Amino acid sequence: MAGARYLRGATLGVVTVAAVSVVLTPLLVMARTVWIEGGADVADILTARGLSSAVKNTFLLAVAVTVLAVPLGTALALALRRPNLPGRAFWRVVILLPVLVPDFVLGYSWLRAYGRAGFTDDLLGVHWPGVQTPVGVTVVVVVNAVPLVYLITAVGLAARSEPAMERAARVSGGTALSVLRTITLPLLGPATATAAVLVFVLTLGTFAIPQVMGSPAGFSTITTRIYSNLARSSDPLAFTEAVTLALLLVVIAVLVVAPADALLGPRLRVTRVATTDSTSVAGSRAGGRWAATGIACYSVLAMGLPLLALVATAITRAVGLAPTPENWTLDNFLAVLNARNGEALGRSVMLAAVAASVLVVLGGLVAALERSRSGRGLATLVSLTLVLPGSTLALGLLLAYGRWLGGTLAIILLAYIAKLWAFAHRPISGALDRLPPDELHAARISGAAPLTAMRTVVLRPLAPALLAAWLVCFLTALHEVTMSSLLYGPGSETLAVVVLNSAELGQVGVTSALSVVITLVLLIPALGFWIAIRGLNRGKASLSPVPPVPEPAHVG
Amino acid sequence: MSADTLHVRDLTVSYSGVPALSRVCLNVAPGEVLALLGPSGSGKSTLLHTIAGFHSPQAGEVWLNGRRVSSASRSEPPERRDLAMVFQNYALWPHLSALDTVAYPARRRGDGRNVARAQALVILERLNVGHLADRHPAELSGGEQQRVGLARALARRASLYLFDEPTAHLDSHVRGVFLAELVTRQRDTGAAAVYAAHDAEETLGLADRVALLAHGRVIQVGTPQQVYREPVNELAAKLTGPVSVLTSPGGSPRVLVRPEWASLDGDRDGRVVEVWFRGPHSDYVLVTDQGTLLVREPGPPRHERGAQLTWRLSHSWALRESTMTAEPSVSQLPSQTPSSVAVPE
Repeated sequence: MAGARYLRGATLGVVTVAAVSVVLTPLLVMARTVWIEGGADVADILTARGLSSAVKNTFLLAVAVTVLAVPLGTALALALRRPNLPGRAFWRVVILLPVLVPDFVLGYSWLRAYGRAGFTDDLLGVHWPGVQTPVGVTVVVVVNAVPLVYLITAVGLAARSEPAMERAARVSGGTALSVLRTITLPLLGPATATAAVLVFVLTLGTFAIPQVMGSPAGFSTITTRIYSNLARSSDPLAFTEAVTLALLLVVIAVLVVAPADALLGPRLRVTRVATTDSTSVAGSRAGGRWAATGIACYSVLAMGLPLLALVATAITRAVGLAPTPENWTLDNFLAVLNARNGEALGRSVMLAAVAASVLVVLGGLVAALERSRSGRGLATLVSLTLVLPGSTLALGLLLAYGRWLGGTLAIILLAYIAKLWAFAHRPISGALDRLPPDELHAARISGAAPLTAMRTVVLRPLAPALLAAWLVCFLTALHEVTMSSLLYGPGSETLAVVVLNSAELGQVGVTSALSVVITLVLLIPALGFWIAIRGLNRGKASLSPVPPVPEPAHVG
Repeated sequence: MSADTLHVRDLTVSYSGVPALSRVCLNVAPGEVLALLGPSGSGKSTLLHTIAGFHSPQAGEVWLNGRRVSSASRSEPPERRDLAMVFQNYALWPHLSALDTVAYPARRRGDGRNVARAQALVILERLNVGHLADRHPAELSGGEQQRVGLARALARRASLYLFDEPTAHLDSHVRGVFLAELVTRQRDTGAAAVYAAHDAEETLGLADRVALLAHGRVIQVGTPQQVYREPVNELAAKLTGPVSVLTSPGGSPRVLVRPEWASLDGDRDGRVVEVWFRGPHSDYVLVTDQGTLLVREPGPPRHERGAQLTWRLSHSWALRESTMTAEPSVSQLPSQTPSSVAVPE
């Protein structure tokens, strides 16, 4: 037993050092910087004219996105639960598609689809002038946030409002509508609130969509302002302003999360994944058809058309030409396939793979330690990184370690670890929760030492969760741009940064081709892992028929 | 048929191609209690859920009080069917108190909050749980939760009650009390009921008629005594209680013997291989020339394991080997008088 205690102590030490160095130290260094160097300037910074509009924009964007995305995601989760919905399995996958498409690609594809000289302009002569305004930014951030709401609500539906609850209400005389009002929605309350808080906080930190869509038209948020301030690195006041803004972002996030966390308790941290599929009472067939039509329209307008426009732009010779076969070319792809981009792609994949592997180990360790009192505080700290905006983390790391690691891949790796730790921790922790404690007891009483018991009876049922955690971290790291764009230096730009820079230079065809490439790079491993996880789950269908739900992580 | 409260005709239900019910036919007269007895997975829950309107059938029809409510083309929603249900997992709503849970059906009928609550309190008090009115499900024991579930069903004032294994999750000492309460209250209302269970003892006592279900088919319908004394086949016999199957050297039909149809001290030889003291009675497992036989006698055990003794048979039931196909089985006709068959020497 002494060995076990030593092992536990060592693990706790390693995890604590990691958490302190990648999360706590950067935040403290930032606070100190603002305190000492900002000094009297802080008041001036916060009242600067352009700045207050950025703060206001950020806040309004977060409110608008929350108000729109939560009802939309909830409605989708409710509709996709109808057993008689035509093509239900297909739509369930389609709704989650934005998880696999990087947010800057989604934003860019909307510009290509609905903007001036875009897809609908070329084909039908109509374009939406609002796409590059705050309204357009809001709509695309909503589309990006809907899968998160959908996932949390669907899990909530499966876990809390099991079908029996609604059947009991129907057989007590409630109509479909009154049961929704009196039973389903009240039961769904905590899940909806969780989704709202997460969407609000993640929207505060969202960077790529406002940057790609809004900044050409002069719409700035706190995150885009931090980015442009760092670009003017010669100006010391700009840097102080960026650090102040980054801390302000954290303050707003904490002001929202703290009361919500107190009210909702651990629900914010642990989203339980139910093992049963929840289907509602069979409704009318016409209702199912209407719901399917609505979902189809949404999917086509929000994702189908934009992605199609992106591909069309990538294979069309020049902007403004109709995307018809006689104008098709592979020139854009050939221009993209050069050694520089190849290196960037290699770096991205390597960084993402290393980050994901480290994160699965760290996430697993925290999940294991969480079961004892000493590890619980650590788990809370790790979970809080979920709401820490990427811009803040990146600036903090730059301040703390920039002297030695600035512009290297190492500092980007640290940033990924800090930002994605919670994403690795949550699926593993959830899977551990669902593991019947008796299985471990049975192994111990059959003569297995703690580590042997872990290896022989815990690791195998945990495999799908570990793989899912790895996949979520890998994909998120691969399309991470908020932190990478602040931290990269010569020779350490990732593919996502290359795409972002190309978009800013206005290279439409090349950017589209790069966007298609980075999306494919994401889709292929995602598909492979999805099949692998399904295979693993089939092997032990008794435990959990669904893989732990991967969180869409790309909003921050 | 229109006089029946419930009429189920040729009902066929399948889940994504896997059949759960095939061509099920049943009738329940007003005020009658029909028990559905079958192993888990036999289709009991599916049948109840289809009657309630949670599933639509692929074929066949459900009629309630002379009105067709389910068919392959049209299915009335549950709230428009004149029935109430008590669920296996209680299905109480975690956000509502016991009082509001029981008031729910009246609220949906359109009663005001105060009227509905007053009615609910009367029902809860009648079930001796009036003092729990303000509690939420998490603060109630299993037996208390199921009483609230029963109260909610009574508040619906339906002409048909569906009971989906309501005692399955109750402790055994609560089970009997709750069951007695349930039957009394349901009989008070004068409504009919369909009671699904897998426990034969529980079911035979409370039902007017029993339907035996296996692999999604009704294999026998009859009074509790009929299905117990004259099972159509070995499976039906095992569903309704302990039974031994004895063979005969001559190759004539095998016979079924209930434990109390045999007794110790008689004209045949046997050896005791197991003895179980069961409280009110004792069970002996004997090895005989015709096979293994279970004998039940009142009182504590009189013999030890390994003892050689004699036994006799007071009654037996001949088993039709090729059930339902070749010859018309005697036991499929419930009107037939019980036939006692002597075991061949």
